[in-house]
Amino acid sequence: MAVAAVHSGGIAEHIHPEPQGFVRRYVFSLDHKIIGIQYIITAFVFFMLSGLLAEAIRTQLLNPNGGFVAPGTYNEVYSVHGSAMVWLVIIPLLTGGFGNLVFPLQIGARDVAFPWLNMLSFWIFPVAGLMLFSSFLMGAPTAGWMEYPPISLQGAAGTSMWCAAIFLVGVSSTITGINFVVTILKMRAPGMTFTRMPLFVWGQFATAPLLMIATTALAAALAALFIERQFGVPFFDPTKGGSPVMWQHMFWFYSHPAVYIMILPAFGIISEVLPTFARKPVFGYKLIAFSSMAIALLGFMVWAHHMFTSGLAPFLQLPFMILTYIIGVPTGIKIFSWTATLFGGKIHYSTAMLFAIGFIGLFTIGGITGIFLAAIPFDLHVHGTYFIVAHLHYVLVGGSLMGVFAGMYYWFPKMSGRLLNETLGKIHFWLFFIGFNCTFLPMHWLGMLGMPREVATYDPQFTFWNRFESVASYLMTFAILIFFVNVLWSIRNGRRSGPNPWGARTLEWQIPSPPHYYNFKHIPTVYGLPYDFSQPLPYKGLEEELTDSPPPVAAGVH
Amino acid sequence: MVTAVLAVLAVAAIVFCYTFPLERYLPAAIVTARQVDELIRFMSATGSALYIFVAGYLVYFAIAFRAKASDAPDAIGVQIHDNRKLEFWWTVIPLLFVLVLSIVSVRIWYEILLEPENGLVVEAIGHQFYFSFRYPQINGEVTDEMHVPLNVPVTLNLTSADVIHGFWVPAMRLKNDTVPGLVTTIRFTPRLAGRYPIICTQFCGVEHSEMDKQVLVIEDKASFDRWYKGWQQKNARVSNALPGASGQAISLQGGDAAAGKALFSQKCTACHKLAPFNQTLVGPGLEAVLHDPAHPDLVNGKAANPADVASILENGYTGSMGAMPSASSNGLSPQDIANLVAFLNTLK
Repeated sequence: MAVAAVHSGGIAEHIHPEPQGFVRRYVFSLDHKIIGIQYIITAFVFFMLSGLLAEAIRTQLLNPNGGFVAPGTYNEVYSVHGSAMVWLVIIPLLTGGFGNLVFPLQIGARDVAFPWLNMLSFWIFPVAGLMLFSSFLMGAPTAGWMEYPPISLQGAAGTSMWCAAIFLVGVSSTITGINFVVTILKMRAPGMTFTRMPLFVWGQFATAPLLMIATTALAAALAALFIERQFGVPFFDPTKGGSPVMWQHMFWFYSHPAVYIMILPAFGIISEVLPTFARKPVFGYKLIAFSSMAIALLGFMVWAHHMFTSGLAPFLQLPFMILTYIIGVPTGIKIFSWTATLFGGKIHYSTAMLFAIGFIGLFTIGGITGIFLAAIPFDLHVHGTYFIVAHLHYVLVGGSLMGVFAGMYYWFPKMSGRLLNETLGKIHFWLFFIGFNCTFLPMHWLGMLGMPREVATYDPQFTFWNRFESVASYLMTFAILIFFVNVLWSIRNGRRSGPNPWGARTLEWQIPSPPHYYNFKHIPTVYGLPYDFSQPLPYKGLEEELTDSPPPVAAGVH
Repeated sequence: MVTAVLAVLAVAAIVFCYTFPLERYLPAAIVTARQVDELIRFMSATGSALYIFVAGYLVYFAIAFRAKASDAPDAIGVQIHDNRKLEFWWTVIPLLFVLVLSIVSVRIWYEILLEPENGLVVEAIGHQFYFSFRYPQINGEVTDEMHVPLNVPVTLNLTSADVIHGFWVPAMRLKNDTVPGLVTTIRFTPRLAGRYPIICTQFCGVEHSEMDKQVLVIEDKASFDRWYKGWQQKNARVSNALPGASGQAISLQGGDAAAGKALFSQKCTACHKLAPFNQTLVGPGLEAVLHDPAHPDLVNGKAANPADVASILENGYTGSMGAMPSASSNGLSPQDIANLVAFLNTLK
């Protein structure tokens, strides 16, 4: 490798020549920041589509006997809504999107370890998304995002398309996971020890192994379901010797860790936003970082708490209940630490900070009801009801999606060089916060009083609260429209942000917005944690970053 | 001051959770439902008290420590990194709470698990899109309501004829899935007479939403006996074999026991031994299946007869003994079935 010798700074200092032309820069780009933005844009397109499906659900439920769409269509609508929101929106936004965009900058790397794999991983994603939505053309899946056999064996042809699409998203996730683990392990700047990594990097570091390991179980399950549907090999059909419960084990062995794939990066975002706007170090850095790893590890040991009604032996259920309770401890530590981070701060209320504080308030509700659900006697009552719908939306919307919005308002300047409009942002926050709570809070008691989930019609005694929820959900959709208007307007007309509009201290804010394709002119050396507001920045070698000087390593040698 | 306000709110929440008249909105139809309610009260009381403190401090800090106009633009907060003592306690106290919650929930769960085993046995079978019920002395299936007598323990075996359904009676605070090929059991003792909806909680097909029309009727012993007699008379002439797809009775004339014996070793021995009933391979042992008075009823109600066995061979079986594929999946012609029945009839 003669090339390596040319770069005296070693492999980490190496700068590739600047990509030329629109296609190499913005379409088939190898740049982690562009790929991150591609992920974010694509995921928000899918977010709009599956958000429309959500409104179709709520419109159907305005009346106890439905009437907006036929029951069969309704089943397709909520199945694709759930699948798309999980696999095409939240996971890509938080891992491929914000992960790609931010964490290589935060560890002082030039790019991720495998840029070509990164590009591959992105381009699989829109293809898989289009496949999932195209299943409407051939009869979409109807059995929810869980697609339990044997009912999913009876589903229309689109169910096989669903298997293929989710399998592909899984391949994309797995590649991303490998890429992130290697990048974090091998490409940190000098001095960036594990105990100096920003907490967003810790969030990604805890998530990436979940992407790598858990997704393979889902891939196996999807392949088996696909093969059974298309070629009749009986994995799950009990009349031919298969086991329907096996699907549930494989599905939840992925899908419980997937909950943490969808929340650990959001924890990371919150842990960056809070100290920046409270102007003080995040409280209990080590415990927050450690608890992410503990949650990721415990997350592999609790999957059967989704299956307390599936006929498992009682002695098998007991450890799943207790281990799930124990996950509440590291999660509680995080919530307490974030709250304590606000104590004694000088809090600046940007929209990102509002979303971060809103996140803590709403995610805590989802976390507490999660503990309730782990209690087997309670789960035997509310499993499969609207209580579950309420719980999962408090975690995934009140948690993950609020985290996404916090991240959008926080890092939009880094992506575009312009700030999002704060007035529109605050209207977005308050309408969304109120609309969200009015939509999902009543579902708790609807479920406890007897409303099952995945129904196109319901008992008329629940009409009032369903109408209330539907109207509130329109408010939420309106808030999200404001967000999209804000983004589209601010890309051209937003106030210029400069490199560091928030006075933040992590590495990505010490370079121009948007950064050069090579990120850093010189890879900096790190001397400490980024969160000490009373100290000078703990980095050396950043002096030239905000000047006009060219990068020192001549482009074009390689 | 803030702590005092939050403490008052938390106490109010706890009082609310413990005094809320839950049973006015959802009657407690069985004995363990009240214990589940007790767990709901405990968890919602502790959960809301915890939430009031977290959210209360969050809001208080968010307001009290906001940057003010008088602050210098680059003013920073108090530079606290951590506090070992605080972190120790907010790790240990939740761990202790996990311990308490585990004890409380295991205790209540055991109340549900340890309901008496020797009660009235009812079998509920999920279908697209209804439940049917089998009772010990009633032929065939009860297809509208499920009745149980007051204060008599019930063992409910759940299975499914097609896909997974969920059998939920909200007033029982109890459910289980009906899984094809698997029998799951819930046991309970009815304590309050009434009519309670049975609701399917696992998506089971296009009419899933309509699968909430049947009811569980809890009534006194005399009414139950009247209902039970009525179904015994109504179903007196009904075959006990599960209803099949074709419905055409198989002619057992001309069955060849020797051919049946050969066929048995090809087609049946993977799952059935020629051994006493309790020697299960996948299905039960079939020694003297048609002649052994000690052989338990093939299907609830009465001893096996050749027509029932033929019907099972033709249509398959799903029930408390597991699941068996139908003739079409096993590749059995009507003559094969006649031969097999003739062979089984020779086993004495």
